[in-house]
Amino acid sequence: MSKVIVVTSGKGGVGKTTSSAAISAGLAMRGHKTVVIDFDVGLRNLDMIMGCERRVVFDFINVIQGDAKLKQALIKDRRLENLSILPTSQTRDKDALTKEGVKAVLDELREDFDYIICDSPAGIERGAHLAMYYADEAIVVTNPEVSSVRDSDRVLGLLNSKSALAEKGDGSAVKAQLLLTRFDPARSARGEMMSVEDVLEILAIPLLGIIPESSSVLKASNEGMPVALDEKSAAGRAYQDAVGRLLGETTEVRAVQGEERRGFFQRLLGRGG
Amino acid sequence: MHNGSRTAQSVASVRPLQIRGRFLTAVALHLEGHPDHAFMDALDMRLRQTPRFFQDAPVVIDLEKAQGIDSTADLMALIESLRARRLAVIGIQSGDDVQAQAAGEIGLVALAAGRDAPLERVSRPGKRPAAAAATPPAVVEQPPAPARLITQPVRSGQTVFADRGDLIVVGPVSSGAEVIAAGNIHIYGRLRGRALAGVNGDTSARIFCNALDAELLAIAGLYRTSEQMGTDTPRQHVQAWLDGDRLQIESLK
Repeated sequence: MSKVIVVTSGKGGVGKTTSSAAISAGLAMRGHKTVVIDFDVGLRNLDMIMGCERRVVFDFINVIQGDAKLKQALIKDRRLENLSILPTSQTRDKDALTKEGVKAVLDELREDFDYIICDSPAGIERGAHLAMYYADEAIVVTNPEVSSVRDSDRVLGLLNSKSALAEKGDGSAVKAQLLLTRFDPARSARGEMMSVEDVLEILAIPLLGIIPESSSVLKASNEGMPVALDEKSAAGRAYQDAVGRLLGETTEVRAVQGEERRGFFQRLLGRGG
Repeated sequence: MHNGSRTAQSVASVRPLQIRGRFLTAVALHLEGHPDHAFMDALDMRLRQTPRFFQDAPVVIDLEKAQGIDSTADLMALIESLRARRLAVIGIQSGDDVQAQAAGEIGLVALAAGRDAPLERVSRPGKRPAAAAATPPAVVEQPPAPARLITQPVRSGQTVFADRGDLIVVGPVSSGAEVIAAGNIHIYGRLRGRALAGVNGDTSARIFCNALDAELLAIAGLYRTSEQMGTDTPRQHVQAWLDGDRLQIESLK
């Protein structure tokens, strides 16, 4: 039974695409056939983060409009054999997405893949709505700051009312979990950022993972490599832990310091981290 | 006269019309002074705060304290600006003879001086038996309105409206969310959004919450924003109620 998981947030720039790439790579590494779809029509980014932008011929919109077959648009990842990417169009806009078209593509993908990760655009309009509409589960990406938390709260409200599962009206709901990204334990302890407890109290959903603020994330993005593949980075390991929990592992969620922020003396003394 | 026989026949078989009494709840909009920019601004602010309050509700304008409504044209201008705000004005009350005549000319009903109390009674029947004895028999007793129960968090951007009775929320009400009730509001969780109780004018309505962090509290239109809740305001297990014209917030402990 395949699962459709939307990665969403409301607010932009919190790390949806990075998280979509990392989580789908993590799932594929564990042997699950995974496809990640870019719903951000017109602002195509996922293919760059995944390092396959030079291989895009057909895209999601071509498939929806019947100009290409799904198999022609899917790009197989060169590093992970279980991972495929369905890029979007850079020249079209969100109006090119239709409910029927999205459903048809997802239904076809369900036949071949275990996990279908939908990388949502920011906002709550058409693109974001259609990315979440057919989801079985949601990963709500949030930064530890008030505007991001409020936008995530808004998105959770939409998941509860405007998704296909919610509209069935039989009590089914999209299972939503929180992925707290760009977290810095030291700054949080100093009160410069919201604490994990504060965020959880407001959003009232289970915590999937805490990704530390780390320069390795930006570096991985620039290199077109999902950060989960970087085993040396704290962020990469945190994403791997989150993937484990997504699959049902019950490991304790810990907030770790991104190793790149350790001071010279801390490293010298072998502390921190 | 050629269809006279048919008319007689239809009267005998089916009556073309029936007349039944109908009680309805209307919203009374009290005008104090001139309906100038300040009034419209205040009204617009109110409409923004409770966008659903006036939705589909018949509105009666109370002209007792109004000034500058001396002709049909004055009244027409006022009605038009209200209708432009999608208010369904059906009549005026407490107007003088000139105003009543003006209302008639533009198709509005001129009601005698009305009481605003029935609204409260409709939403809270049986609550005050002593008062019930004193009220005229024209008011219809309605069965108690069912409370609306919400067991999920009320998220930012959501509005929950209990249009007749109480509203009970088991869970938090987020910042940017709005909970509105004709009666009381009970929140078993932290209130961070807006809570508006007694929106039909019930001044005896109260708001209860486990933890208070509200953007706005309002009872029967009287409100306090978070800015107006000082550091001395109790924050845990509190109730808010109206003490005359003042919205009081007090700890339940």
